[in-house]
Amino acid sequence: MIVILLLLLSRTDELYIMSANTLDPNKWVDRYSDYLFNYTIVRVNNREVANDLISETFLAALKSAKNFKGEASERTWLISILKRKIIDYYRKINSRKGKAEVKLNYSDDYNEGEWLEEQVADQFDRTAEDEMENTELGLAILECLDSINEKHAEIFKRKTIDGADTEAICNEFNITPSNLWVIIHRARTALAACLEKNWF
Amino acid sequence: MSKKSKFFFIDCSEAADCCNKAQYEEANFLDKAKLYIHLILCKTCRKFSQRNSKLTDLLDKSKIEPCPEEKKQQWREEIKKEFAEERT
Repeated sequence: MIVILLLLLSRTDELYIMSANTLDPNKWVDRYSDYLFNYTIVRVNNREVANDLISETFLAALKSAKNFKGEASERTWLISILKRKIIDYYRKINSRKGKAEVKLNYSDDYNEGEWLEEQVADQFDRTAEDEMENTELGLAILECLDSINEKHAEIFKRKTIDGADTEAICNEFNITPSNLWVIIHRARTALAACLEKNWF
Repeated sequence: MSKKSKFFFIDCSEAADCCNKAQYEEANFLDKAKLYIHLILCKTCRKFSQRNSKLTDLLDKSKIEPCPEEKKQQWREEIKKEFAEERT
């Protein structure tokens, strides 16, 4: 019994080191594209641009793969490259326009009241903050999905995020509906546990 | 347990199954009825059910956008090609 436990422990250790410190470019798209996509979309607010930036990120990552020291996880490393790309993108569009200025008119003719009370933020209007929290929640969910079984995560994503039919997924992955529900159940349980740990 | 009572009183694993299906609106009326009867009787499943619906709420709230599949395929090919070139 103890021997089996030790064997299991050593295996998980090995797996952990493998996934944390080496690069596996052929798995990048399956593992990280959803995360990178959601990360970019809230920052550039344009699907086409987001797609281009992610594509550039992957290529840049491949080019500098030999500089990867294995200190950070693969995802953190890719995100750091993506961040640079997003900053570059904003620099580029700003220089193209020649100016990066934000105009704020606090007292124009259209706004009737200039009283201080009317300019205080409405504390019941929390939509912007909620939105931000929700995108962060989305990223946290995707991050948690990374830590569970890869196949289960993929099936769960197809079912929950893409909203695909049970039948279609069963055909795609060649499983029976009861298999599917067992996988969904495991994924949901693991996800709930992970979110409870990391989100609340 | 008689056949009739077995029909209405399901065990926890079956209840979990019904509960999961209900999260995707795929439980029929009978499934739901069975689930509710079970939930009245079983505290553990009540907890599980609450947790499960909370997860569904969070998933709905997060509005995760799936990355388009054709883009993924394109990137896969790009990476494969570049990776092969890097190695040679």
